[in-house]
Amino acid sequence: MTEPLFLNLGLLLVTGLLLSLVAARFNLPRIALYALAGLVWSQDLLGGVFDLQLGNWSVVLTDTALALIAYLIGGSVTARQLKRLGNTIVFCTVGEVLGAATLVFLVVWLFLSGQAGALLVATALAVLAASTAPAATVAVIHEYRSRGPLTTSLLGVVALDDAVGIILFSLLLAITTGTSITGAMSMAAVEIGGALMLGMVMGWALAFFGHRVRNPHFFLPMVLSAILLSQGLAEIWHCSALLTAMTLGFVARATFKSGGERLLAPVEYLEELVFLVFFTLAGAHFDLDVLLSGVELVIIYVVARVLGKIAGTNLAARFIAAPESVRKYIGLGVVPQAGIAIGLALSLVNHPVFADSGLLIVNVILASTLIYELLGPFATRYALLKAGEISGEQRYE
Amino acid sequence: MSEQIIESSVADWLRQHPAELVSISAETALIDIVKTLLEHDSRDAYVVENNQVKGHLSFNKLLNHLFSHDRPVHSHRQLFARVAAATAGELMDPHFAYCREDEKINQILHRQLQCDVCDLVVLAADNAPVGVIKLTEVVRESLR
Repeated sequence: MTEPLFLNLGLLLVTGLLLSLVAARFNLPRIALYALAGLVWSQDLLGGVFDLQLGNWSVVLTDTALALIAYLIGGSVTARQLKRLGNTIVFCTVGEVLGAATLVFLVVWLFLSGQAGALLVATALAVLAASTAPAATVAVIHEYRSRGPLTTSLLGVVALDDAVGIILFSLLLAITTGTSITGAMSMAAVEIGGALMLGMVMGWALAFFGHRVRNPHFFLPMVLSAILLSQGLAEIWHCSALLTAMTLGFVARATFKSGGERLLAPVEYLEELVFLVFFTLAGAHFDLDVLLSGVELVIIYVVARVLGKIAGTNLAARFIAAPESVRKYIGLGVVPQAGIAIGLALSLVNHPVFADSGLLIVNVILASTLIYELLGPFATRYALLKAGEISGEQRYE
Repeated sequence: MSEQIIESSVADWLRQHPAELVSISAETALIDIVKTLLEHDSRDAYVVENNQVKGHLSFNKLLNHLFSHDRPVHSHRQLFARVAAATAGELMDPHFAYCREDEKINQILHRQLQCDVCDLVVLAADNAPVGVIKLTEVVRESLR
């Protein structure tokens, strides 16, 4: 029997949207309710009753949604803006990413040592620990009208680390597809190099045709077509799909030479839909048995990621002699984790290398994201408060 | 709108309603562009280099960036623009609407409304800017 694709997808999205109305009414984190909507349709609950199957369509959907996000992140910055970001932002980003990834890897690997696939799970969780949640950070900064060196550095770091996270994830996938160390390295070189070249050509072509289009309504279909075509070519030429999309966005914006309203803004309108898809799908992958078997892993991951980010940013900030407020508190400010980590984890579920561990990784990331969603804003607020960039009573009315 | 206005050419209109183009360089800071626009009571600035228009910036777009700290939601693009203090050249739209001197006012009105441009730049044959058609002036004239 064929899967009722549209019915399944429609049920997930409509439930997610309905619960997001509840979130808006009671001022709850909406992504948590998106995940709850997916959880309602998981196999342990209504999904099992109505036999809702997450077949190949969810893989296609996740990969497409991830490609859109990678394109947006690639196109979000120009080379000149990157140069102007400054040492504090760049070094703190490297510090928090390396700190979290290293600590998560070591702790998870030690915890799972002796179990099959321990190295793979530890590496995947380490890579997924890199990205943060810009939306949560911006919301706190806006709510408390915070301003100062920590606020500026925080905004830069949360913008940059998602890009670093996607690059690391692409490297992870490229390396894990090889069968030996040398095979893996050569495979990775081909995947990464090919993706950069393909992304550059497609980005240039998109900008070239974009310059010839007058009707603004053509930009969204044009960009979507370019992304889909590049994903298809990346697949058949064995290039990293995410890096291709990211390079496509970066080169298209650089070649088009604009603030990105035409090539990026139309896709930005789809971002909420993408996160709705990510969180409802992740929720629908919820498996109580898998989660119960991995509760300790969730706790270890949550703690190691936070400690890794604090230690990594502290070391990096010391290295470049950043202001004291940045050195002491930026690690706490980058605690939130959200959509990108969920999307990347989801893409592992049907990856052949992660056939045995994909579901565990998704459940760990989903549970940890919900924890971070609750605690992350408090950590960010505490960091800004201690840094003296908000006063206790100051709040945006 | 009267036949007289609709049928008049852009060149004729410019002679009767000369208006100054707000031109800026690609390196101009956003706050300075906003100040210039307020001084000229205009809502559209054009990035000009070597007497050629390179791009367009609207008042709303500039304010959107200048007051980004009052925006509760940011895309990655807006985050980078905020942190890296974007310049005119990085935010301008190179895909700007323009008109030629030999066009009729009725030919350009729709373009002006569709592109949401109050001050439409007029380009000469060599693409050098020669003035702007102010939408407010056209409306004022037609209501008279």
